[in-house]
Amino acid sequence: MYFTAAKGSVPRFILNLQHRGFTVVGPSLSEGVVRLRELRGAEDLASGVVDIQGPGSYGLGGESTFMFASLNGPDSPKTYLHPAEVELSKHVDRGSGIELVSAFHSDRKYAFFGIRPCDLRGIGIMDRTMLVQGFEDPVYSTLRDDSVFIVVNCTKAGENCFCASMGAGPAAESGYDVAITELPEKLLVDVPERNMDMFQGIVLKAATEEELQEGEELVRHARDQMGRRIQERDPSRQMYAALDSPVWGEAAERCLACGNCTMVCPTCFCSTIIDRTDLRDGSVSRVRVWDSCLSKDFAYSAGGNPRQQRKARYRQFVMHKFAYWPDEFGTYGCVGCGRCITWCPVGIDITDTVNSVLKGKQDAGKKMEAPRVA
Amino acid sequence: MPRQALHTFMQATVRDVRKETPDTFTLLLDVGGGRTPADFMPGQFNMLYVFGVGEVPISVASSEGETLLMHTVRSVGAVTNLLARLSVGENIGLRGPFGRGWPVAEAEGKQLLVIAGGLGLPPLRPVIEGAIAKPGRFAGVKVLYGARTPADLIYTHEHSRWQAANGCDLLLTVDRGTGDWRGNVGVVTTLFPMAGVDPGRAIAFICGPELMLKFSIMELVKIGVPPERIFISLERNMNCASGICGHCQLGPFFICRDGPVFSYPKVRDFFPKEGV
Repeated sequence: MYFTAAKGSVPRFILNLQHRGFTVVGPSLSEGVVRLRELRGAEDLASGVVDIQGPGSYGLGGESTFMFASLNGPDSPKTYLHPAEVELSKHVDRGSGIELVSAFHSDRKYAFFGIRPCDLRGIGIMDRTMLVQGFEDPVYSTLRDDSVFIVVNCTKAGENCFCASMGAGPAAESGYDVAITELPEKLLVDVPERNMDMFQGIVLKAATEEELQEGEELVRHARDQMGRRIQERDPSRQMYAALDSPVWGEAAERCLACGNCTMVCPTCFCSTIIDRTDLRDGSVSRVRVWDSCLSKDFAYSAGGNPRQQRKARYRQFVMHKFAYWPDEFGTYGCVGCGRCITWCPVGIDITDTVNSVLKGKQDAGKKMEAPRVA
Repeated sequence: MPRQALHTFMQATVRDVRKETPDTFTLLLDVGGGRTPADFMPGQFNMLYVFGVGEVPISVASSEGETLLMHTVRSVGAVTNLLARLSVGENIGLRGPFGRGWPVAEAEGKQLLVIAGGLGLPPLRPVIEGAIAKPGRFAGVKVLYGARTPADLIYTHEHSRWQAANGCDLLLTVDRGTGDWRGNVGVVTTLFPMAGVDPGRAIAFICGPELMLKFSIMELVKIGVPPERIFISLERNMNCASGICGHCQLGPFFICRDGPVFSYPKVRDFFPKEGV
């Protein structure tokens, strides 16, 4: 059901979520970057903040009359649902064997407020990777089960965005708990019947045909504005065929193998379990931390290191998203959010790599600009 | 595996430790809880956990008829070096079994070629023991096993029993024939002409270093064994064993979940291929 609500209703909406036991997470300004942070209230929202992104660059610039004016920062819901560091379990060994002291549990219920459609698609992808039947990840499933997603459709595209060609935006089609399109004067909201109670105390008016059209027009503008795209709708088979493309080596020559791309990616899920000993009581925590396929020792085993070369590791990152993922999980691993382009210290553009691999030409990175420091 | 498998360890008590070679040893474990080696299928693996240090993925070497779970390990890193120092009565943690094992049922009635290089033998030991326990299940079993030197051969106390078993032939080779070695010298494929392979009826289970796998596959295909009857066990960095950590990926496969045993045609685009 489509309604309109006053922009001034946002504080009450966030309060409603909090009263329902949700920890509300939304875009918030922190040290010059819009992060996803726990919101104390609407006052913490990065309202009207404008971000400017490019390959290898992120900065803030000016103010907007729109509340939801900034696009994605480095965080995605992954930051909360598949945390960068999480204690899986804690054990002691009292001599008679290893005893479980505690296993991961959480009563947290997250409400993600103001995330973008690409990140909602990211959750849909994480659901497939982390909840494979029989192999459900205990952390992700616990945190995700009670989460709600209030998505804000995009009415503006960032320089690095390419969600349209990944079918993940600029508007969300399904999977949300509330979808908001910000019009100049009001919010256009799509509220499924089950979530009407989130709007308690907020005046909702049935949206008119004109208001719906205005919303569609703004989303279309974002789509038209989007400068980047993946040339093929379904590139997986062609990517497989291009495993030996010279493009991989060209792009990898600039890659620093720093792993930033995998950290900011809303779907990258790789991790490592480490043992952390507490010297006070001798207990051992099994802690899971994010890992990256760009790291040199990522694939190392007693039999050797299959991806010793940086080229092989960069290829793994891109091939996984655009070739392997559909065979593993029935979906592409990329949502077109552009974060890996923004946060790459040398501004490697994944759309450029994929398109060049598809074309079979060695022009990956030619139009690379010098990275700007914000 | 159940949802809690990531942090639930079984208690495994060491009942015996056998030295195989200077750097390789076999642990015989009692996993309790009514679990027997029959709960761990040939070709599957377990994660062995040394408290406070970490886990290693190790193949199941015991067969279903045995009473203790068996793992053969080479000391190569922090965890395996500590496993090497275990003595009888001590406990370790264990998660498993994981992965898909050898398609033993599919091999019934066929000539079974068991081809092992170095530490590739342990995951194939339960296949050999299973075949010996049920003679006639296969149209002959040929075990072709190679190691670097005679001193690197493992399970030597079992070789004569395997050799004597009805329908089972054991052929050994070493890369370097040190000491009083009088057997074959050369890579494992040099045994093929002596093995009496019947390409029309053969099915091959292979485990060993990547190069050895590669040349064994090439040779088998050359003598006419159909690729779909060649099965290989692959090794990668297994960390979570649940298809979540990403370390063991090979192309579109998670070795821990989709393997470690694969039919050769399934992985031929990615194995052997550099850097995948």
